[in-house]
Amino acid sequence: MDSLYDNLFAPGTLRVLLMVVMFAPLGFAALVALTGERFRAARRLSGLFAALHLMLTIFLVAVAAMYSASHTHASNDTFCPIAVPGDSGEGTAIAGGSQEHRTSWNLFMVGKPDPKVPSVPPAVQFFVGLDGLNMWLILLASIMTYVAVSLSWHSAREKAGGYYAWVFVLQTAVTGAFASFDVILFYVFFELTLIPTFFLIGGWGVGGGKRDAARKFFLYTLFGSLFSLIGLIGIVYTNPTFSSGQLSGEVKDLQMPLRRGPVSFSINQLIFNTYNWRQVLDGRAALAQASAEQRAAEVEQKRQQNAADLSAFQKLADEALLQSKTAAAERDRHSAVQGWLFFALIAGFVVKTPLVPFHTWLPAAYAEAPTPVTMLLSAVLAKLGTLGLLRIVIPLCPDMAVQYGLPVFGTLGAIGIVYAAFCAFNQKDVKLMAAYSSVSHLGLLVLGMFALNSEGLTGATLHMVNHGLSAGATFALLAVLHDRYGTTDMTQLGGLWSRHTKFAFFLILISLAAVGLPGTNNFITEMLLIGGLFKPWAFGTVGYWLAIAAASGILLSAWYTFTMLRNVLFGNLKIPTALPDGAKTGDLTGRELWALLLPTLGCVVLGVYPQPVLDSMRHDVATIEKVVNAARMRVNPTLAELEKTQPPADEPDGVHH
Amino acid sequence: MPDPLSPIGLSLIAVTLPLLGSVLSALCGAARLPRLAHMPAVLTFAAAGVISGYVLFTLAGGKDPLSYKAELGTWFTVGDMKVPVAFHLDSLSLIMLSTVTFIATFIAVFSASYMKGDDGFARYFAVMGLFVFAMCLLVTSNNFFLLVAGWEGVGLCSYLLVGYYYTKPSAAAAARKAFLVTRLGDVGMILGIFWLWKFGGYHSNIDQLVDHITHQPPAADQITLCCLLLFCGAVGKSAQLPLYVWLPDAMEGPTPVSALIHAATMVTAGVYLLARTAPLFALSPTAQIVVTIVGGLTALLAAFIALAQYDLKRVLAYSTVSQLGFMFMGLGCGGAIAPNIAVTAAIFHLFTHAFFKALLFLGSGSVMHAMGNVIDMRKFGGLRKLMPVTHATFLIGSLALAGFPLLSGFWSKDQILTALHDAGTGRSVFHGYYYTVYLVACLTALMTAFYTFRAYFLTFWGEERVPHEAHGHAHESSPAMTIPLVILAVGALAIGAVVDPLTHWFGHFLERSPVLHHADEAFHKTTNMSVGHHAFNVTVAAISSVLSLAGIGIAAMLYRKGGPEKVPTVLKPVFALSQNKAYVDEVYGATVVLPAETAASGSGQFDGFLDALARLISFIPRFLGAVLRPLQNGLVQFYALGMVLGLAVFLTVVVLRSGR
Repeated sequence: MDSLYDNLFAPGTLRVLLMVVMFAPLGFAALVALTGERFRAARRLSGLFAALHLMLTIFLVAVAAMYSASHTHASNDTFCPIAVPGDSGEGTAIAGGSQEHRTSWNLFMVGKPDPKVPSVPPAVQFFVGLDGLNMWLILLASIMTYVAVSLSWHSAREKAGGYYAWVFVLQTAVTGAFASFDVILFYVFFELTLIPTFFLIGGWGVGGGKRDAARKFFLYTLFGSLFSLIGLIGIVYTNPTFSSGQLSGEVKDLQMPLRRGPVSFSINQLIFNTYNWRQVLDGRAALAQASAEQRAAEVEQKRQQNAADLSAFQKLADEALLQSKTAAAERDRHSAVQGWLFFALIAGFVVKTPLVPFHTWLPAAYAEAPTPVTMLLSAVLAKLGTLGLLRIVIPLCPDMAVQYGLPVFGTLGAIGIVYAAFCAFNQKDVKLMAAYSSVSHLGLLVLGMFALNSEGLTGATLHMVNHGLSAGATFALLAVLHDRYGTTDMTQLGGLWSRHTKFAFFLILISLAAVGLPGTNNFITEMLLIGGLFKPWAFGTVGYWLAIAAASGILLSAWYTFTMLRNVLFGNLKIPTALPDGAKTGDLTGRELWALLLPTLGCVVLGVYPQPVLDSMRHDVATIEKVVNAARMRVNPTLAELEKTQPPADEPDGVHH
Repeated sequence: MPDPLSPIGLSLIAVTLPLLGSVLSALCGAARLPRLAHMPAVLTFAAAGVISGYVLFTLAGGKDPLSYKAELGTWFTVGDMKVPVAFHLDSLSLIMLSTVTFIATFIAVFSASYMKGDDGFARYFAVMGLFVFAMCLLVTSNNFFLLVAGWEGVGLCSYLLVGYYYTKPSAAAAARKAFLVTRLGDVGMILGIFWLWKFGGYHSNIDQLVDHITHQPPAADQITLCCLLLFCGAVGKSAQLPLYVWLPDAMEGPTPVSALIHAATMVTAGVYLLARTAPLFALSPTAQIVVTIVGGLTALLAAFIALAQYDLKRVLAYSTVSQLGFMFMGLGCGGAIAPNIAVTAAIFHLFTHAFFKALLFLGSGSVMHAMGNVIDMRKFGGLRKLMPVTHATFLIGSLALAGFPLLSGFWSKDQILTALHDAGTGRSVFHGYYYTVYLVACLTALMTAFYTFRAYFLTFWGEERVPHEAHGHAHESSPAMTIPLVILAVGALAIGAVVDPLTHWFGHFLERSPVLHHADEAFHKTTNMSVGHHAFNVTVAAISSVLSLAGIGIAAMLYRKGGPEKVPTVLKPVFALSQNKAYVDEVYGATVVLPAETAASGSGQFDGFLDALARLISFIPRFLGAVLRPLQNGLVQFYALGMVLGLAVFLTVVVLRSGR
């Protein structure tokens, strides 16, 4: 296979392609903006662009996935982004060069380069790439942008050019955030998403309170992510590169002088740094303590012997004790700081996800935004929060994630599953029901993720995509409904099956995906997420209540979803008496059919044959797992051993008689 | 990949054929040929039936354990969660597979005529094909998650078919109720599967997991918990107390659907699940007695409710609930006598019940078809002259259900009663409970005979009355509908006697399943009791015959002349209680549905409170601004004053500090 790639793709092709996928939407935005008020032109042009972009992305991700699934990486120490622009290494073709997967594109320096560690410039870098965690999200973003562009009919009637332009700007921002491997770059893209969203909700929203909702959304999420910025900077400056020059593996030399080298903003370098600062400080404290104990024992021995040189030994012992205390204090200070930084860091992401009780910006924003934008918010933008947890919070604060992840944030997730499901049932507007349903599903995602084992982490990674597809398709169908009746209120709509057969087919199918029926994508990931909670660590630390809450979601999601189906599809036809001007009539149009087909097919394919996608994630999930396992060994070695022990695998029985 | 001509290869072909039929039926609908949509369904079901029947007959007669396995690749695998697409063919799954495809074939033939001209003709057969596929998947899967796929798949098809008449609000409500109530049980089942996965060395293949657990059993209360959680799923799917309420409502679907899904096949999935996991249940006598008690209570309550129903289909629906209760009573005996006896009795009853209950439902469908979709027995009567074939076959079905001596139902019910009797008189610690349940079962048998014949007499005897909805089309149904009736009637009449008491073929065949073997071993290890075999008990058979005849006799006395109902004043309250379904729906409405909806609206209000809290915090900056704003008043004098005061304070501090 390798040689095929080598021949087909000269080194760098994928890097260029990734740059195109990231930044082409900006160009689209500029071109579409030129069409101004001309609705048809803007619509045609942006549909064309989105389709083009989708094709490129499918190609890029397909190649990257095949590569990721087929290559066994030597080490799991860091994420392995491929197609990294600016990678100076001359390695094998599409892997994009050096084993370290670095980039040489510095954006700005924050200090002087250290001659001892030339490969880690103290600079914010343009470090982007594709790995198992983000490639499917980038594809998801491209699919959903296509769907949003195709289904924006009524919502984009006025100032169409501006509307589509902002959608494309949003795509660049979100794709950039997904692709970033530099924490500051990630943060910049992360915040950049706020601007187009703000204008889309405030300018093209559907409700009376759109401006208020836009402002609330902007301020609330910004408020959270400013804490994250503090956390990021704190992590970066408290975990600089080691001046000894070691950049990977495990720092074994505990006696080396602890001089701080250049800071690094690369996630991979930071994973190494945080891991080893913790190891080294722990190791030094343990060493000093051992030495102090030894000295104290010597003094005791001499005292019993009534030795003459007792005072000399006493002095040595005092020195050792002092050293031990200093080392312990240093360790404790470091871990206390990391603890605070963890809570600062996670704040922005739990707001963005959102996790109950930080979700109150969501109902207003989702309800007031034009439905295709709501679709993007829920399908794509919410994943910034969860990806942030996976990519940044857990690897950079593993000890805290192990200690507080499941008991605090897992519990919030579990509460969210149940609470948001009840809220969803209470809604009269299907759009709000779907909004709360998102909160419920993402609660499950966060809960399962913090089980921090391969089942939970893989489940969470794939559930981001799965939820994006099913929730996105739900909102897409609501956009279809909105274009016809100007409302998604269940008290005004009913019995639509008899009028729109195709619509009914898609709504039922997507609802089945949403409740995680086997054969649809969410079943796979729900099983993985729940399964993760049954592994020893999760079970041993928080018991089984969280698992029960997770499983209750299976029933609760069906409860509100099937009630909605009964109200909207079944029974006698009921539609609003006054239809909006220019409303569509009839069943799905061809364009809508194509747009809906993509996420629906995704739901089914990922439900029936998810293994290739799961395989492509294996390496990068293993990276997180490795970091987490080391942290577990520090926190509770007995339980950690239990978690690591794999049961003897029986050979699967073949056909025998 | 197994050899396609090996038994398991052929069975897998039989499993997949209905899926093909479903796709083809859907394509017929999409290609504007809906009138042909029944062809793929009938043909693929028949082919699947023939293939599984062929496999059954080639494998019958031997003595060796019967077990074929195949893995067709991976569904998903991450870490310790490995889910292969694994199949297992043993005598248990083979019997289920053959029964399902055989019955489904005739019901499809019947439906083709019954549903003719309906708008959703193609949709009907597409979903039916999907159902048969899911059911076949369920009974052949060797992996718990794949089993769940079949399990949820049949639930989905049930939902779609109950809600088939989607403009009818009652059908919509019934469909939703069916899905949600069974899903409540499924939550328990999925938790149980995960717990088993955890205790069972992270195996998800049923045979490996069961093997692991029977060799290294976890603590007794843990295995009891797992078994009871699995039983939750069975309680939901097989309509047992407290989750049976969806099944009577599910009669809103087309009648052939009730015959296939809500009588013969899907509702027996719970029985199958417990039979398949019998080795686990054998480790926990406590779980077993719970199963028996739940079955007994369900059988009694459902039979009681059936006594006074006027809707013919509802009588049959409650009767199904009651008969499923019998199967669970039988299954639970595995904790006191050998599992092989218990499982054989339950599966045998499942098998005969599939025939006579499908027959009764199709018969009621035939009546309904002729009566212009009226199914209220107060509106028609005396149909035996009008519909002779339907009458004769319905009579056979009723006799079988009532346990009339020598008919199918008699033999299988007798096995269950014998098992209960033996368990009640054996040396199990729970023998007192078993004996009580045995008495309950006898009482239920009497009630069964009574309500079955009450319905029979009300429908077919007395003065001939036809509702005006029939529009004068009240006549015997077409041969496409009566031929399936006749075939199923032959089964109801004779198949029970032929396959077991005369030949002992059924019991011997089922015993070759490794599941029963393992269950017996586990039972022996757990209870230290020896493993017996089924023996015909003359006393029990005599009692059950007398009860059956008595029930039929009382019904004949009261209803021989048809309606209307003559209830003695003393029994009026009891009658009303039965007629109002013991008010269970109302009780659930008040204790489950209402609190849940209140919690939902409470959550909605609480969310408003959370939002207010967030807004309150957002006022802090604004409040600070309001406090500090007067300082920026633009008056130069004010700023000058501020500067002077500030300077003064600064100087004072400097002076005081330096003066110290």
